[in-house]
Amino acid sequence: MSQHDKPAGKKSEGWEPKIIAIVCNWCTYAGADLAGISRIQYPPNVRIIRVPCTGRINPFYVVKALQAGADGVLISGCHPGECHYITGNLSARRKFATLKSFLNYIGLEDGRTTFTWVSASEGERFAQVIKGVTERVRALGPATKLIKKLRDVSVAAAK
Amino acid sequence: MEKVEKKLREEAKKLLAEKKVDVIVGYEAGTLPLTATPVFITTPEEADKLVWNSFCQHNLAKYVHDLISAHKDSQKRLKPEDRKRKVVGVVTKGCTSRSLVIHLQERQYERMDTAILGVPCTGYVDRKKLAAKLGGEEILEGSLDGANLKIKTASGEKTIALKEVLADNCLTCRINNPVISDSMMGEPAPPMDFASEYAGVDEFEKLSPEERWAYFEKEMAKCIRCAACRQACPSCYCRTCFAEQSMPQWVGISEDPSDTQAFQFMRMYHMVGRCVDCGSCVSVCPMGVDLRKFLKKLDKDCFVLFSQRAGEKIDFPAPLQDQRMDDKEEFIYSPGGGH
Ligand code: SF4
Ligand code: SF4
Ligand code: SF4
Repeated sequence: MSQHDKPAGKKSEGWEPKIIAIVCNWCTYAGADLAGISRIQYPPNVRIIRVPCTGRINPFYVVKALQAGADGVLISGCHPGECHYITGNLSARRKFATLKSFLNYIGLEDGRTTFTWVSASEGERFAQVIKGVTERVRALGPATKLIKKLRDVSVAAAK
Repeated sequence: MEKVEKKLREEAKKLLAEKKVDVIVGYEAGTLPLTATPVFITTPEEADKLVWNSFCQHNLAKYVHDLISAHKDSQKRLKPEDRKRKVVGVVTKGCTSRSLVIHLQERQYERMDTAILGVPCTGYVDRKKLAAKLGGEEILEGSLDGANLKIKTASGEKTIALKEVLADNCLTCRINNPVISDSMMGEPAPPMDFASEYAGVDEFEKLSPEERWAYFEKEMAKCIRCAACRQACPSCYCRTCFAEQSMPQWVGISEDPSDTQAFQFMRMYHMVGRCVDCGSCVSVCPMGVDLRKFLKKLDKDCFVLFSQRAGEKIDFPAPLQDQRMDDKEEFIYSPGGGH
């Protein structure tokens, strides 16, 4: 049984937040790398998915992650003005501003989704972000909304 | 309104006679009393079918897109020099014109592919509201008499004030006159009560997340995923909607409520800066899902964040096409402080 098959709403014993981080290759992923090689400690609750640019992230990724049972979703890319593709993150910022607001509007907890910028030289900031996000999600407890409880046939078949 | 209708017929006749358009999409009287239905006319003689009244509900931009894209497909097999342009004339109220602007912003066709017959709009009758007022009784006869509807049902004659049965989106419509047109039929209509446009959204925002989620869950539980809302929406013109894509399969088709929630959430989210609040989706929904409560939020956000409204300005990129350094970013998280 996977984590999200557990009855919604109940804090399960030994629960650890599961956070999906979708980060851009050029800034935040490099920032994570720097945090790693600098041996900065941060909570092991994030699963990082690397994409070329935040502008490439389909907002559906966030919804899909939540539907699959992620307790939190983090998206991070280059600071505005520093995008490797010049303006990818500016497009992303507009998408995510509206996406986050809309998710909150339907009743999702604000702390479930986080958007931020971490540059390649900000290993320390990366660790801080992960710490902060993990704490926020931990305080909220396991996700209960939008989660698909029937297991996907494909997921079942893969087991 | 009769004046507008007369001018509309004249203009349509002229355009068709002079072969300036290949087809005109407009409204004709419906088969039931107090209804109007889309009509496609191709000869000047048919122009007298056209009507313009408080029952003209459809956002005809949907058909403009359908007609032009089908035509373009049919031209693909011809040599470029043999290809012809098809010009579609369209009876256009405020929301329709904004949908046309969205199509143009999104490069779906060119401005010269359309001839826009602008009509002043004072709102349309919401069939569901009307049915509720009549307690579900069938309308045997009906007519519009100034600001009132005169209706005959099995139990007798009734008079209903038009204002009481106008659709919610019309009552608070901000742009009830076309934002673009080639010719305008009559004087622009007086403004509607747009000051209270976001009242419903503001109220909803005050609820707790749990209350909002409960409402979302309840509304989405009604949805049978017939996709009529999408089919009616002029902004939903994708050849293959995400809902039908299989690689990847964005949204499942199981009975799990979250599949419907995800479908609706994304269908609606695709309307950021693209929903003109025409009410087409709401009016076609067989289950009475309160889509507007959610769609209007996107409209509000778009204005609050980007100072723009869907399809308002033709010479301006659509909100999500635009890229700006100076956007607000209160939502961006900064560790150890603020959000
Ligand atoms: S029209 Fe109504 S029932 Fe059909 S898919 Fe849309 S919201 Fe659901
Ligand atoms: S989402 Fe509904 S109200 Fe908005 S443009 Fe589409 S059909 Fe009209
Ligand atoms: S819901 Fe989205 S993908 Fe589907 S038709 Fe509408 S805009 Fe296109």
